[in-house]
Amino acid sequence: MEQAGTALVVARGLTKAFGSLVAVDAVDFEVRRGEVFGFLGPNGAGKTSTMRMIGCTSPRSGGSLSVMGMDPAAQAAEIKARLGVVPQIDNLDIELTVRENLEMYARYFDVPKGVAGDRIDELLDFVQLSERAKDKVEPLSGGMKRRLTIARALVNEPSLLLLDEPTTGLDPQARHLVWDRLYRLKQRGVTLVITTHYMDEAEQLCDRLVVMDKAKIVAEGSPRDLINQYSTREVLELRLSDEQRENLKTSLDGLAERVEWLPDRVLLYTEGGEATLSKLTDSGVNAESALVRRAGLEDVFLTITGRSLIE
Amino acid sequence: MSASDVVVRNGLVFWRGWRASFFLSVLSPVMFLSAMGLGLGSLVDEGQSFGGVTYLQFFATGILASSAMQSGVFSATYPVLSKIMWQRNYEAMLASPLSVRDILFGELGWGALTLTQLSVPFFVVMSIMGIFDSWTAVATIPVVILVGLSCAAPVFAFTATLQTDEAYTWIFRFIVTPLFLLSGTFFPIQELPAWGQVVAHATPLFHGVELVRQLTIYDIEPSALWHLGYLLALLGIGVTLGLRNLEKRLMA
Repeated sequence: MEQAGTALVVARGLTKAFGSLVAVDAVDFEVRRGEVFGFLGPNGAGKTSTMRMIGCTSPRSGGSLSVMGMDPAAQAAEIKARLGVVPQIDNLDIELTVRENLEMYARYFDVPKGVAGDRIDELLDFVQLSERAKDKVEPLSGGMKRRLTIARALVNEPSLLLLDEPTTGLDPQARHLVWDRLYRLKQRGVTLVITTHYMDEAEQLCDRLVVMDKAKIVAEGSPRDLINQYSTREVLELRLSDEQRENLKTSLDGLAERVEWLPDRVLLYTEGGEATLSKLTDSGVNAESALVRRAGLEDVFLTITGRSLIE
Repeated sequence: MSASDVVVRNGLVFWRGWRASFFLSVLSPVMFLSAMGLGLGSLVDEGQSFGGVTYLQFFATGILASSAMQSGVFSATYPVLSKIMWQRNYEAMLASPLSVRDILFGELGWGALTLTQLSVPFFVVMSIMGIFDSWTAVATIPVVILVGLSCAAPVFAFTATLQTDEAYTWIFRFIVTPLFLLSGTFFPIQELPAWGQVVAHATPLFHGVELVRQLTIYDIEPSALWHLGYLLALLGIGVTLGLRNLEKRLMA
């Protein structure tokens, strides 16, 4: 068994190519035991390809990869026996009931029948689906399906849980419920690897993350470290009329450390947002709206790549 | 055995609708044999002979092999494509310790069970109707399973390459139906023009039909080995291609 803090996943120069398309380009990262590790990046950045290589369902094209000390190319079944996978698109068995989905999965993992029964009861309770145990999968809501998929991924008590965009497509309430369950798993010591293009998700859940863009890792650290490193403490968001945008094109530069002109708003990176705003008001600029907020991972991504995460 | 997990999964789904399936698998031979065999046979038998047997005997044995082909081919079309790309069951299975090999062998194992479920009632109905009296007829059941799997495996390999289900219309219209009509099910292939006989010899159903008839209503001849060999070879090729294509599809 691995000790706390040791690496569960180690990738060096890990590469995935589909013909001439390079989906993952020589990335290095380590996932430590007990942490929540995130891959943050826009669609097409290479997150899912990386996850599938860790999950032993996609052979790597180059570099090295070790999962729980084993090589996915040689010991896929042994690795998969200790993994839990929550895929991006639900693949629950719609011909079976909620409970049967878990029972059948327990069978795939050779969980002894006597053990599986109790464990499934606990898991249904954990994801708040005990009441729906006998129902078919199809009438369940998106959030319920996702929770069932999470329960299914836990049926073999995995050492490592891979979640590919666990809350994409869920409404806010359902997302919070999923986050809460994932947070509890973390507290129980399960190592989680998640991909996401949601900043708030990464900030809420991840101890450490890498930012991916165009098949490469462009930054790495804890959410707070990344924000400190790549952004100011606060951001002043302005919405300006077209006329104001034209007039202020260059004169905003002196007011903040960095100014980012987005199609719908202007971001001023500054240590004190309110102070910057009053300077602006004093100089006679009245924005259509102004908002001071703390800097987040969105700003990190914007700084590094020059683009918004969700376009 | 991990492939058995795949069989168990299909069995659980099947179990819900078993009454309907069982009813159909008994009803269809009774219907086919009485309508076509007895009805049509009474007309045909007037002026024709089928190697010393009645048309009912000739037809019943042919239709048994044909049903196996149809069941085998169908089982490797929509249900498999659905598990690949619509319901994504295989993706879920591959996230567990199951492998592509387990999936393919599990599906074929399940196919063997459904073919048994189809052929045993058929066999029983035929023996009640006195269609054969040879003890070698018992060997028909494994042969019928082989016919079904030999047809299923190459289609499975093809399904693993598909992005839509459009091709199936063509398969059924231009492959399955002609085979059904022209592989000696309804009339001896000697009635076909010379080129048609050559084509018939190249099709799996012809070999299946011949094998079943030799075991039930005709004498067993050395050619039985050739028919058996053909079906086994087709199964082998289908499985090899199936493993390769499914691996390519699911483990990209």
